[in-house]
Amino acid sequence: MNAADEQPFFLWRHLNRLRWLTLSLVFALLVLLPFLHLYQTYVAAHAYDFLAPGERLIYDAMEWLTGPFTSDPARDLDAIKGTTWSGNFFGLALSDPLALAGHIAASLSLHWAFVLSALIPVVATIIFGRFFCGWICPATFIYELNETFAAWLRRAGVPLGDRRLSKRLKYVVLGAGLVLCAVSGSVIFAAIYPPALVGREIYYAIAQGGFGVGAVFFLLTLLFDLLVARRGFCRYLCPGGALYSLLGRYRLFRIRRIVHNCNDCVKCNVVCEFGLDPMRDGFGQECNNCSACIAVCPVDALTFKVGVRDDPAQGPGHQGSAYRRRRQREDESDTGAAA
Amino acid sequence: MESRRFLRTLAGAGATALLPGGGNAARHAPSLRYLRPPGALAEADFLANCIRCGKCGEACPNRCIKYFGLENGLDSLDTPYIVPREQACILCMECGQACPTGALEQLRREAGPIMRSVKMGHARVDQSLCLSYQGKTCGVCYRACPLQDVAIRVGMLEQPQVLAACVGCGLCERSCIQIPQAIRVIPNRDGAPA
Repeated sequence: MNAADEQPFFLWRHLNRLRWLTLSLVFALLVLLPFLHLYQTYVAAHAYDFLAPGERLIYDAMEWLTGPFTSDPARDLDAIKGTTWSGNFFGLALSDPLALAGHIAASLSLHWAFVLSALIPVVATIIFGRFFCGWICPATFIYELNETFAAWLRRAGVPLGDRRLSKRLKYVVLGAGLVLCAVSGSVIFAAIYPPALVGREIYYAIAQGGFGVGAVFFLLTLLFDLLVARRGFCRYLCPGGALYSLLGRYRLFRIRRIVHNCNDCVKCNVVCEFGLDPMRDGFGQECNNCSACIAVCPVDALTFKVGVRDDPAQGPGHQGSAYRRRRQREDESDTGAAA
Repeated sequence: MESRRFLRTLAGAGATALLPGGGNAARHAPSLRYLRPPGALAEADFLANCIRCGKCGEACPNRCIKYFGLENGLDSLDTPYIVPREQACILCMECGQACPTGALEQLRREAGPIMRSVKMGHARVDQSLCLSYQGKTCGVCYRACPLQDVAIRVGMLEQPQVLAACVGCGLCERSCIQIPQAIRVIPNRDGAPA
């Protein structure tokens, strides 16, 4: 096939919708699970007659929802438990690699069952890069909605912050956090890591009678994103994002630009949540393969590739104005020479 | 350079706030009488191993496990606790099964392992409050105990005596019909005796 005819696989541009589906499903699950837990406790207590009207509503709704699938809620509904920080999924224990790193630093020991539970996420991150940030993280779900909200505010003329800080800050946060874990003997990431906070605070709000301290911190990060830096926490501060970026440095699946199709319109750079530079082949270890740039590209110039390194910079897009001007000059000089 | 200096200051401040000594002062605040869930390691180990995932609470069918905010110091933030007078532990051992890091030990729901490895506290009877010791036969705490005649026994007029095998689940305190309760669990946060 002629390189100039290369087109991306047609499904890639719909991948962003699939991503939103998984983000929404994970978030919905985190909301559903505490209700299921409450239902389990009501069943275990044989207490339907003693439930308050609100609790009875939860009981009825959850019974209606799960009734067709289970006759023993106490046992069967244990299939999915926990959050993205650490959870069980149909017998498979899964934990956030940052939880493992923090636990090792704080306890200075290895708990093998816990190490194993982080194995699948670590391997998946080595292969797919920082995909957790774009595809699963329940905080991303809220941060991206926050970003949409910020776009409305900007359109209404509200001045919001759009500072660029150093992306290396988050590696400092990760390193300093690990040192603090070891010094304090406490997994302090749990108190500042947004996905852990979101999962836990949803659970607190539904099953423990109200939001906890973490919700305040999470609100502050939302304000930071609005007032200081666009997607600032994920880009510049998140220790989990830093760990995933390091693990995903030599990921196998990455996005690349088809320079023949590119017209240098900059839509990809504008839409990139992590402030990367797809238009100049600047993906790097922090790309989370969210595919938003592929979905927004009007000329099918972005696609996936398999390989452990990004393509080297390819210069301006061949459909772009710089390219067209140069070609025009060359054509004119050709005709001039012929004359 | 400016941002790095700021971070160093921040790290220093954080380290000071999180130093074990600072935590100890708050931990021994007299107003907080709480238990850790059954099978918990000794407090320092427990805090180092607990990743604050909340799965123990989600596993608890009795909804007795609650979570600290800042009231017990920064290092107890989001860690699980039980206040037996509000809701006591039924020793189902589900929380230990759910704990991913071993901060709560995995134990079978059998008397042997529970008596060997669970030591949340020890119940103590206040004879001046206890109805049975005041001549009004009661015995509710004895009947609430999951380890009857092993952890607690009753004498004349159902007067309760707590024995060494008490694991501190707090079901006696929960069930005591006196207000305030005449039997309370004195917390033990040093883990199970070796």
